[in-house]
Amino acid sequence: MKKRNRLLLILFVMFVLAAGLTAFSRMRPQEQQSASAATGQQSPVTRENNPNYPTPNPFYFEGKIPYELTGIDTPQNAWEYAERGMYKQDDLEDLDGAIADYRTSISMNSLQNGTCQLVTTSPVPSTMSPPPCMFTVRSRLAYLLMERDPAAAISLFQEVLQIDPLRLEINSLIGETYAEEGDNAKDQATKQQLYQKAVEAFKAELSLSPVTPQSVQMTGDEANNADVHWQLADVYEKLGQNANAKSEFDLYLKATKWHSDTYPWRIALAGKKIEELGQ
Amino acid sequence: MRMLRLTFVVAALVFGLRPLAAQTPVGNPSSFSFKSQPYQRPESCLPCHQRQFTELRSSVKSGYRNVSPLFNGLETAANFISGGRLRPVYKDSTKLTPAGTPLNSNNASTSLFTNITQAQAGFCQSCHNPHILLQGENPQTREVPELDGVVNDFRPDLFRPLRDYSLVDASGHQILPTDPGGPAPPGAKPSLGAAGITCDVCHNVMGPNLDHSFQADGFANMSLKLFNSISKVGPFLFPVAAKGDFHVASSDPQRIAFLRSGNFCNACHDVRVVGGGSLTAFETDKNTGGSPVTHYRLENLSTEWARGPYNSTNNPFGKVVRCQDCHMSLFPYAGNSTYMVGDQQITSPTPSIFPTNFAAVPGVSTDFNFALPKRQVVTHYLSGVDVPLLGVDELRSRLGNDYPDPYDTSSDEYGTPAGLAQRRADLLGAAVRINLDKSDKTVVPGQKFNVRVTATALTGHRFPAGFSQERTTFIELSVRDRNGFLIYQSGYQTDKPHPTTGETQPDGSLDDEDLEHLIAVVDPGKHTDTYVPGLGNNGGRNLIFWSGPDSGPEARVYIGIPKGLVLLRNELTRVFLPGDSLGRTDANGKDIVATKPHFEETFNAAIANHVDNFRSLQPLRPTTFRYEIQLPSTADLATLGVNQLAGPLQITAKVHYEHFPPVFLRYLSQTTGGLGPAGHDLHLVDESRIDSFLRNNRNIATANTTVDLGR
Repeated sequence: MKKRNRLLLILFVMFVLAAGLTAFSRMRPQEQQSASAATGQQSPVTRENNPNYPTPNPFYFEGKIPYELTGIDTPQNAWEYAERGMYKQDDLEDLDGAIADYRTSISMNSLQNGTCQLVTTSPVPSTMSPPPCMFTVRSRLAYLLMERDPAAAISLFQEVLQIDPLRLEINSLIGETYAEEGDNAKDQATKQQLYQKAVEAFKAELSLSPVTPQSVQMTGDEANNADVHWQLADVYEKLGQNANAKSEFDLYLKATKWHSDTYPWRIALAGKKIEELGQ
Repeated sequence: MRMLRLTFVVAALVFGLRPLAAQTPVGNPSSFSFKSQPYQRPESCLPCHQRQFTELRSSVKSGYRNVSPLFNGLETAANFISGGRLRPVYKDSTKLTPAGTPLNSNNASTSLFTNITQAQAGFCQSCHNPHILLQGENPQTREVPELDGVVNDFRPDLFRPLRDYSLVDASGHQILPTDPGGPAPPGAKPSLGAAGITCDVCHNVMGPNLDHSFQADGFANMSLKLFNSISKVGPFLFPVAAKGDFHVASSDPQRIAFLRSGNFCNACHDVRVVGGGSLTAFETDKNTGGSPVTHYRLENLSTEWARGPYNSTNNPFGKVVRCQDCHMSLFPYAGNSTYMVGDQQITSPTPSIFPTNFAAVPGVSTDFNFALPKRQVVTHYLSGVDVPLLGVDELRSRLGNDYPDPYDTSSDEYGTPAGLAQRRADLLGAAVRINLDKSDKTVVPGQKFNVRVTATALTGHRFPAGFSQERTTFIELSVRDRNGFLIYQSGYQTDKPHPTTGETQPDGSLDDEDLEHLIAVVDPGKHTDTYVPGLGNNGGRNLIFWSGPDSGPEARVYIGIPKGLVLLRNELTRVFLPGDSLGRTDANGKDIVATKPHFEETFNAAIANHVDNFRSLQPLRPTTFRYEIQLPSTADLATLGVNQLAGPLQITAKVHYEHFPPVFLRYLSQTTGGLGPAGHDLHLVDESRIDSFLRNNRNIATANTTVDLGR
């Protein structure tokens, strides 16, 4: 190739490179990012750039995110352990693994060791040190411990109520745990004591969803919380308080009037029980 | 030597110009030199693009979405709470931001967001009717006026739903219904903006507007560069020239590529609600000066697609499946594919199959009758999961006498149903598959056993998607013994009265019934002589919020209880902070005030500050839901007069779809009704409308199995 041609070729290559680089450098970073996206080059997902990894503000995301979407290899904080625990519990049915992760999570978000706090004032800043206490991980661990370690379950449920006293279904689960403990208790006095605690917890649940003249007007429901009334009736029967049991079965029937039940045969059974208890 | 020089010149031209071309559409195209052209009615395109016109007209995107009672009701409810902040302001506005700076640009016209009120102004319209919002800058072409007063000066009694402004008389002058929200005046015709998303919205697009999207990525917030010009972009690299000078067909490869890509749809199919943002997922505008613009993710569909398997080759089809491949193709009417997802064999409709046709009408659309090629074209049905909550007569009174019947039973030349209701049903039928394979095989009477429903979404995004906090998909599960004795049910509906909206007795229909996991009534608010923005008198909080007998969604997520309703619906939540009133009273009539943060589902997006977008089904990820079921004891059965259960137990699972929950519609009915903040009925939603038009799409997927009774 002649010297002049070689020079032309070098000039040409330089021109192409310069033009391309100039154009790219004129783009702002987000345009470059978009250009990369358009060519299908995706940057690796990290906690920082992942829309499926929420940034607390100041509360942690209370809910379950499919674990693989979070981009977490090894959990590093209380929330990440909680999320892995949920994955193990719900997706793998690895309950022991879930319990272990929930315990680790709570150890890192603990009222006892000062790694979390109860939020009592408003407005809340976007970051809090220590961060707010989480309720989901405690509820989930407590539920898994209801049979294995009822005392620990009740303690955790009560922590949930410290975090959010208005949270529904927690008092009911405390009542259920006490009732089961009562069933398993050996002596009659302890049974009575535990059943009485169950009654108190169930009543606490009902007090969070009061039936008022206004609510009757709006819904047509003269009672609600069918399952709580069903369980209360059961406990009253065990306590030998038949009038109370009958009354609870009656409220159960009122609560299911428009809503039926997941176990619909209980509706007919409640009617029979009322007949039996009335005799 | 001559050859070498020629090669050099050609190569220099080709390569040298390439980067220049690449600059324009990939980033932010800023100035355009095309001959401008006013925003066109779709009828202007009709002579040459009859097929596209007819298809688009029967989609909810064009027409219905702007007159939808639900859209109008939701926008109204949000304005009641925000004091009219969602209505547009224009460059001639004298309004101020809360900081006291001029507020004279809206969600579509603001170049860079620096405060929340800019993004709030015209928030809904920016995607529902972007051109109309933009051309409102000119008072002569303005359809939706600025409100006289906002915040403390807001007048809910004078407020009109947006659709009131979409009517004109025979001369093209705007006419308003006599009563705010009232029926269209006799002889009224649809305005330029009535049709919403029309030909020009998409084919005027120049590229993404990264400054407009909060993550500078072209997602959400109508982050599009729109320019009304004669240069229309289509899908073809070598378009045929149009007849006369009505328009030219763009041959800009990057502009074409953008229109053909999912990136184009991303601009509106993520919706990020500006305001206080999320208290559990902090996000703000990343653009210059945007840090005060906090928001949360309402519609997250585009992100779901972009991060999901269909925006990769890691899916059963081995290629990127774009929005257009399902919503603008022959899907789901072009045959099936069979493939494996995990250990499940799935058969479902094949995406990405397009009809072959002319892109324009031969003999009409080209000069000198230049021959048009037949090539692969897209359909413009843009089928989705919505059907109008309006009757045909109401639709036609607002959108023209030729507005198509959503329940039309005819088909087009490809066999695609003309009626959008049938297309919606068929699309839903392609969305999900379930099985019961992992259920326990035997159970001992009186003991517990596990039913496991494995559900797999086949959609490009999560399912359901879009306004996924209200779009409702649920699993109905029943367990019976061989004699039909019903042991367990979940996902069931019961017929009951709805006193708040005047249904005092059950009406014999289940389509207007909520699921039994929750019993809720939302505060509609009330009219007051002096308006005060915020939650006080403007509704949105729950007056009733009780757990129902089929409590499942909250119990499953927050407590991990494997019982109760599987509700594949995302959730909007209000985190009430210490000192906040929940808006209802206790048994003694005393206001219930949160002493600690309290998370509670809300049905008004305007007051949500936490959203869970992970309750819907993730695409191509089989997800198993366990139901722990207790069989009745022998004693209980004896009391009931049942000798014993007859095995095997019959398990049936069904997936149903409901496009909006009745509780949400009843809230909109009340808050826009006579007792709501306006003080008079805005004629948007009522019980009759709910009963007439809300329909469940049942059995979009089903599965059966049996479980043996052991001893």
